[in-house]
Amino acid sequence: MRAAIEIEGLTKVYKEVRALDGLDLLVPEGSVFGFLGPNGAGKTTALRILTGMARPTSGGARVFGHNVVNASKDVRALVGFLPDVPGYYSWMTAEEFLRFAGRLFGVTGKTLDDRVKSLLDMAGLAGVKQRVGGFSRGMRQRLGVAQALVNAPKLLMLDEPTSALDPMGRKDVLEMIAALKGRTTVFFSTDILTDVERVCDTVAILDHGRIVRQASIQELKREGHALRVLVEVIERAEELEPLLAARPWAMECQRDGQVVRCVVSDIEAARQDIPAIVAAENMAIVRMLDEEPTLEDVFVQLIGGGA
Amino acid sequence: MRGLAVFTGKELTEILRTWRLFVIPGILLFTGLMSPVLAEIAPGLVSSMMPDETQGIVIEIPPATTVDAYLQFNKNAMQIALIAVIIATAGAVATERRSGTAQLVLAKPVSRGAMVVAKTLSNWLLLLAASVVSAGLCAAITTFMFDSTLLGRFAAAVGLWYLLAVLMVAVSVFLSVVTNSQAGAAGAGIALYFALTIASVWEVTRTYTPAGLLGAGTDILTGAPEVSVAWPIATTIVAAFAFVVAAAWAFGRQEL
Repeated sequence: MRAAIEIEGLTKVYKEVRALDGLDLLVPEGSVFGFLGPNGAGKTTALRILTGMARPTSGGARVFGHNVVNASKDVRALVGFLPDVPGYYSWMTAEEFLRFAGRLFGVTGKTLDDRVKSLLDMAGLAGVKQRVGGFSRGMRQRLGVAQALVNAPKLLMLDEPTSALDPMGRKDVLEMIAALKGRTTVFFSTDILTDVERVCDTVAILDHGRIVRQASIQELKREGHALRVLVEVIERAEELEPLLAARPWAMECQRDGQVVRCVVSDIEAARQDIPAIVAAENMAIVRMLDEEPTLEDVFVQLIGGGA
Repeated sequence: MRGLAVFTGKELTEILRTWRLFVIPGILLFTGLMSPVLAEIAPGLVSSMMPDETQGIVIEIPPATTVDAYLQFNKNAMQIALIAVIIATAGAVATERRSGTAQLVLAKPVSRGAMVVAKTLSNWLLLLAASVVSAGLCAAITTFMFDSTLLGRFAAAVGLWYLLAVLMVAVSVFLSVVTNSQAGAAGAGIALYFALTIASVWEVTRTYTPAGLLGAGTDILTGAPEVSVAWPIATTIVAAFAFVVAAAWAFGRQEL
């Protein structure tokens, strides 16, 4: 499959800070790709280099074969971009901003008219005459996604598009992204794991400027050494939780009523230990079962719980 | 320079729909309106503050003339309006960067230089329109209150003021790029204006640099013999374009 983005050994150093440290990444064309990492991992820096806003210290990156440093304009012609904090001209309406953005791409005439109309519909901003200065955060993000699509890009890059949105705003933006599946390549950075699980098919986990793991979400969950074990007891679950959490295989335990869920590093050891602990404490098990790990479990395991 | 026409269109629309329409044009219109009036009432004001004749001192204040009205306009434009121009344009690029609009629009296949040039051009156009209207208003009121002489000299003085304003816009936009701060650019721009004022004291700098334009309008209006402005005009135009090119180059190299 052709690569939309190829990054090799990308390094960016700001004075003392190594924001990117030999980043290698391959984003397949047509994928909805989650670029996942904790705050400060280097996600925004990587996007800034890809869009020509910053220059790499060393290493290189290509978008559809174009070098992002030497052929930045060619790259930008193929890409739609939404920065993490998009700024707008507050005196414009949504329609005016989309027309302005379209003209910057050289889109004019009926093509621009049709595109602006469909994007306003898609963003739920059709008929909104209010100026952008009075928009809610959700409206601004939806407009941001719409303006990034005005050139019908081959690659849509979104930098934390759902951060700081309320649940309804997040749902709207994620639905917009999900609707693009199969129409364009989407590369979006985030630190919200549930967003990635909802819309992405492939994910790369970034930490301290390096890729820790890149795979499909299903593959990641399958390969993840971390598993969840659920134990439900008749009573005294509050006493059981610290006992389980103290075991060497327990990475994280949480209690909900009489149910204790543990993320474990060694499933076999957990399966042997748990019934023994329950019996030794004179408790009674209602049920005990393995659960598929969530992306969060895999993330915590790979990043080492530091996120 | 891809995107220049689109950026310039956006800048001109922004001028028409925001505070930018009122600040510099407002100051210039006020200057045009009030200069002849101030010239007319100034002698009366000065006389009222003089000691009376019973103390044995007699100072005669001549009545105001056409040249006083135009000199008043020239003085206000060279001082208040030029400083206002520097402050109003100091945020041209810095504001776009700080608000995040630069990152959003420059991720599109356009030249960063186009944004810088569009901002400069639009301000030059705004100043041109405001200068013409303001000077026209001043000339009309002066003609009504005094007479219609000296119109040619007044037009020449306004032209020289406009050239200096063109340079100040270019300087301000350049400083906006390199300082990335509206306050910083305004402060540095005003410092440069005062440096130019000091430079106008010396013969060499007055003859060959833009500093010569600061006093040239007064000389022309008062009918001073041999007012030579060829060098100041030439160096002002060259310096203005050099600052625009430098601003575009510097902005192209910056990380956003």
